[in-house]
Amino acid sequence: MREKSYDIVIIGSGAGGGAVAKELAPLCGEGRKIAVLEWGARLRDEEFTGREIDMVSKVFFDSGGTFTKDRSMTLAYGRAYGGSTVIYTGTSLHMPEAVVEDWKVPGLDFADLHRRSLKYCEENNVHLLPEEDINDNSRLFLEGCRALGYHVEQFPINVKGCRGSSLCNLGCPNQAKQGTDRVQLPAAEARGVEIITNCRVTSIGERSCLAEVADPGFGEPSRWEAGEYRIEAKAVVVCAGGVINSPALLLRSGFGDALPMLGRSITLHPALILVGEHEHAISNFHGFPKSYYSDEFMKTEKFLLEVCMYFPFVTAKNLIGFGAEHSELMRAFPKLQMILVLALDEALPDNRVVLDRDGQAIVDYTLTPAVLDTLHASMLASARVFFAAGAKRVHAPAGTSFFIDAAEADRIDELIPRANVKPGKISITSAHLMGGCAMGRDASNSVTDGWGRVHGVPWLFVADSSLFPQCSEVNPYLTVMALADRVAEGIRTNAGELLS
Amino acid sequence: MQSLPDDKKQMLWLLAQRIVPETGDLDEDGRRRFFDIVDGALLDRPEKVRGQFATFLGVIRSAPLIRYGKSFEKLPVDRQDAVLRWFEDCPVGLLRKGFWGLKAMVFMGYYGQPETNERVGYAPQFDGKARLHA
Repeated sequence: MREKSYDIVIIGSGAGGGAVAKELAPLCGEGRKIAVLEWGARLRDEEFTGREIDMVSKVFFDSGGTFTKDRSMTLAYGRAYGGSTVIYTGTSLHMPEAVVEDWKVPGLDFADLHRRSLKYCEENNVHLLPEEDINDNSRLFLEGCRALGYHVEQFPINVKGCRGSSLCNLGCPNQAKQGTDRVQLPAAEARGVEIITNCRVTSIGERSCLAEVADPGFGEPSRWEAGEYRIEAKAVVVCAGGVINSPALLLRSGFGDALPMLGRSITLHPALILVGEHEHAISNFHGFPKSYYSDEFMKTEKFLLEVCMYFPFVTAKNLIGFGAEHSELMRAFPKLQMILVLALDEALPDNRVVLDRDGQAIVDYTLTPAVLDTLHASMLASARVFFAAGAKRVHAPAGTSFFIDAAEADRIDELIPRANVKPGKISITSAHLMGGCAMGRDASNSVTDGWGRVHGVPWLFVADSSLFPQCSEVNPYLTVMALADRVAEGIRTNAGELLS
Repeated sequence: MQSLPDDKKQMLWLLAQRIVPETGDLDEDGRRRFFDIVDGALLDRPEKVRGQFATFLGVIRSAPLIRYGKSFEKLPVDRQDAVLRWFEDCPVGLLRKGFWGLKAMVFMGYYGQPETNERVGYAPQFDGKARLHA
């Protein structure tokens, strides 16, 4: 076992870990040593091939298909230098004020979070795409929603020099997306922060952690040789491994006894990918893949509609059925309009991350009848949007037939019955994992305080989306960065005490 | 294929042709790529999951014995499809989820090949914006 020593150790390099690393980096100029330990690899620019299976195996855990315990859902989350910011679309939304207030985190208010979110909008070049760069897939969503009177907004996105590959979710092959891999981590490294890739932290001890470095066979070599390490963290450990790995790591390290809420109350924004087929080819996989969303049903039926564009395998597995009909729809790929629906799920204590007998993380999440109702309602709304946009037919996973033709558009309620929304039959996914180390008042109702400090453990912080006490109701990454900014500020403010 | 014994590999191939009929048109290289992708995905999963997948293939093979008195591979294709439709909509959630997992593997093996992207008209370009404005 080799030994390393730092003042601050940050576990994870995604939206949370990357933001904390950059904010604390000035401490390196004062002689402090800071390390970021990242499980995933740092891919070379030429390794972003845009090939679906090649990329998902390199930048996602379980190739983007981690099952929940009951196998009703699959979860997609990133593993790379930059974490999930490598594989998100870069959509940058401020969390609504009402949601911040609902969280009821002592010391956290909307003005504070909004101010920090604006800072990252500036830092990561968030802006609206010009209208001429919006492709048909997005434009048709806008037209369909407007025809129905649904409220639509354009996504602010964090790209610079975007060439419209549409491959954002496989890692931008043009290095245009401004995730932490392009902005915060290089800035932190420039000031002296060491980033160790291919490094999996296995447990956290008293101001220290154990880790293993292994060569995955791709990407830049790690700064450290393969092997086992004990890393001293003289002042602070910041856990930013995400909703599955942060709670699992803390549970594996024995923090669960004093923290009954550790791992609990996760929310996932359960999602469906839906398709409508147009008469003629549309621009769908050329241009930026995701330009509009509708929050029309956010308060009433608890879902968001978003434009999306996925790849052949992901698309195929999200369709119901098989055989000739399925192939026919796949061959219509250039004519497909796609919508992603996100159910805004409630934080329930029994939905949680637990460990199996081998200490591996398991996501024990049950789709409630309320969420299934929401997914059903979202399918009806999406079908209406497709038809209002001019689709000739729609594929609804809960439909009584594989296709619903435009001539049947007035019978959508009858043709997509709630009874057909069956987990296991319908493909339900999640890419917005939240909760498990919730912020709150004390250990009876949360894991950390409003500054991400773990209750009762003054040297241990959490800085990722596991801090969310409830779901964000919008795409969460900007909020993760804003919260991480608070965590870093808290550490800096208490630097005298923590670093003495 | 390291993740499945030969009899299960044969069963998987038979099922693949019902789930994605175009798999039957794959040449030798295409078939090799199909099995390589599925193999890679299964080998990435815990051994327990690989065992469950193999068991599920056996369940599909044997299930028609109850209703039709024949194993799956001996049924005409329309009955094979009927059996698969039953699994997809099965009242037992575990069997529905097992069939979803099987479908996902077959779709990955076929649509995960860059070589099949063209067959569905999927041809992204790094400079997609230039194509958009062409």
